[in-house]
Amino acid sequence: MNIRVTILTAVLALASSAYAADPPRKSENDSASIGTPVARSSGEADAMRVQGEQRFRANCGRCHAAPHKFPPRMMATIVRHMRVRATITDEDMRLVLFYMTQ
Amino acid sequence: MDHIVRTFGDRPGRACVRASCLVIFFCLIPALLKAQTPDPVPEMERPVPILTGNAGFFTNVNGGETELVPSITPVLLLPLGDRWLVESRAEFKGEFERGGGTGPYGGKVEQEIDYLQLDYIANRYLTVTAGRFLTPFGIYNERLYPIWIRSLHPTPLIFPLGTGSSDGVMLRGGFSLNPKVNLNYATYFSTLSTMNKFEADRLAGGRVGFFLPGPRIEAGVSFQKELQEERANAFGFHFAWQPAAVPVNLRSEYSRSHDGSGYWIEAAYRLSQVPFWQKALRRTEIVGRGQQLFAGEIDEDEAEEYGLPDVNTRQGDFGLNYYIQDGLKASASYSRRFNSDGNVNIWTVGLAYRFALPLGRVGPQ
Repeated sequence: MNIRVTILTAVLALASSAYAADPPRKSENDSASIGTPVARSSGEADAMRVQGEQRFRANCGRCHAAPHKFPPRMMATIVRHMRVRATITDEDMRLVLFYMTQ
Repeated sequence: MDHIVRTFGDRPGRACVRASCLVIFFCLIPALLKAQTPDPVPEMERPVPILTGNAGFFTNVNGGETELVPSITPVLLLPLGDRWLVESRAEFKGEFERGGGTGPYGGKVEQEIDYLQLDYIANRYLTVTAGRFLTPFGIYNERLYPIWIRSLHPTPLIFPLGTGSSDGVMLRGGFSLNPKVNLNYATYFSTLSTMNKFEADRLAGGRVGFFLPGPRIEAGVSFQKELQEERANAFGFHFAWQPAAVPVNLRSEYSRSHDGSGYWIEAAYRLSQVPFWQKALRRTEIVGRGQQLFAGEIDEDEAEEYGLPDVNTRQGDFGLNYYIQDGLKASASYSRRFNSDGNVNIWTVGLAYRFALPLGRVGPQ
């Protein structure tokens, strides 16, 4: 019995350590978190900014006038709040966050 | 018998307990370690708690009776980790009138908790909300109600139908069906609550809407089933259009319920394209709204409690907004109400201010 418990302990310890050491994945299909998307070039950044402005006007502008830009950490909270309140899509939310923090 | 006790009640039993403790312990370790793991989002982009909301002061003249309405509506946003958000809104609104038309102003200050909810963003399709939340019926209650957002200060006649706050659980989300169509939905169950400041009815319902980002058209339907008293159904429809070429915002809602039915149609036009007096006119918005309410199967006292006219009513509203600076707006409106109780004029004038303060370090803007 003691051997069984020891083996079980060792397996659980290994499994839990491996799980904890695995960094959180930010895949496209599991993108509920709110990180500003990263542009790989200035051209891509410009395109994302244009897209972000369009999404901002289409989503946020439906209800209220454009606010001044807030610091990125505040914008991250506001955008998360609006994602829930206004049921904004994940992609729109990310592009709006990029536009509002650049 | 002794053998059975020894086998199943003594050593093996203790071993089972020990093994169970180990399993629980090792299941907790990864969670604790994960909680200690630095967030992959850079420090300067991690969301910070915010105290936001709005404050305002309005003077209403309703059928010759003047009322002063100061209000403050703080909103607390508390993000937790990558997927959680605690959000709460309280409303403190004074309604001060002169007793008998003369003398000093006096009255009560209403205090409400509009929502106090915990949101879990499960994935791109689903957010789970628990607690007290704004009932998702139509669009006005959830999106247009704050005084710094609404184009006309008086709320629509049908606003009390199907709306308010609920206590329970809600599932909601918004996602793209294809590049031209977004779908959004909300479905909820609310329990009966008579707790002070957390009053709610036992309800179930939902809302589904489609948004076309190209032409900026949104349309949707709402449904609600009362699970108490009359067990009545309520149905709603909403439509909004914001054409890209013209700074016009068109919005409309229709509601039908046991307490009444009706509609409103509103158009707000920002004068930013007028070629003269640009400095002033680009900050100016004119608004018009037409609305009608058909009284429901409720008596006069119930209608007053819900804030509904107890007779069929038609109303036209006209407004002017001037956006002084970001978050600060001056508003004025005139409404003419027609019903069998007597036609009245309703005037409002006031200021609305939106504030947002970080409750933590935010770094450079």
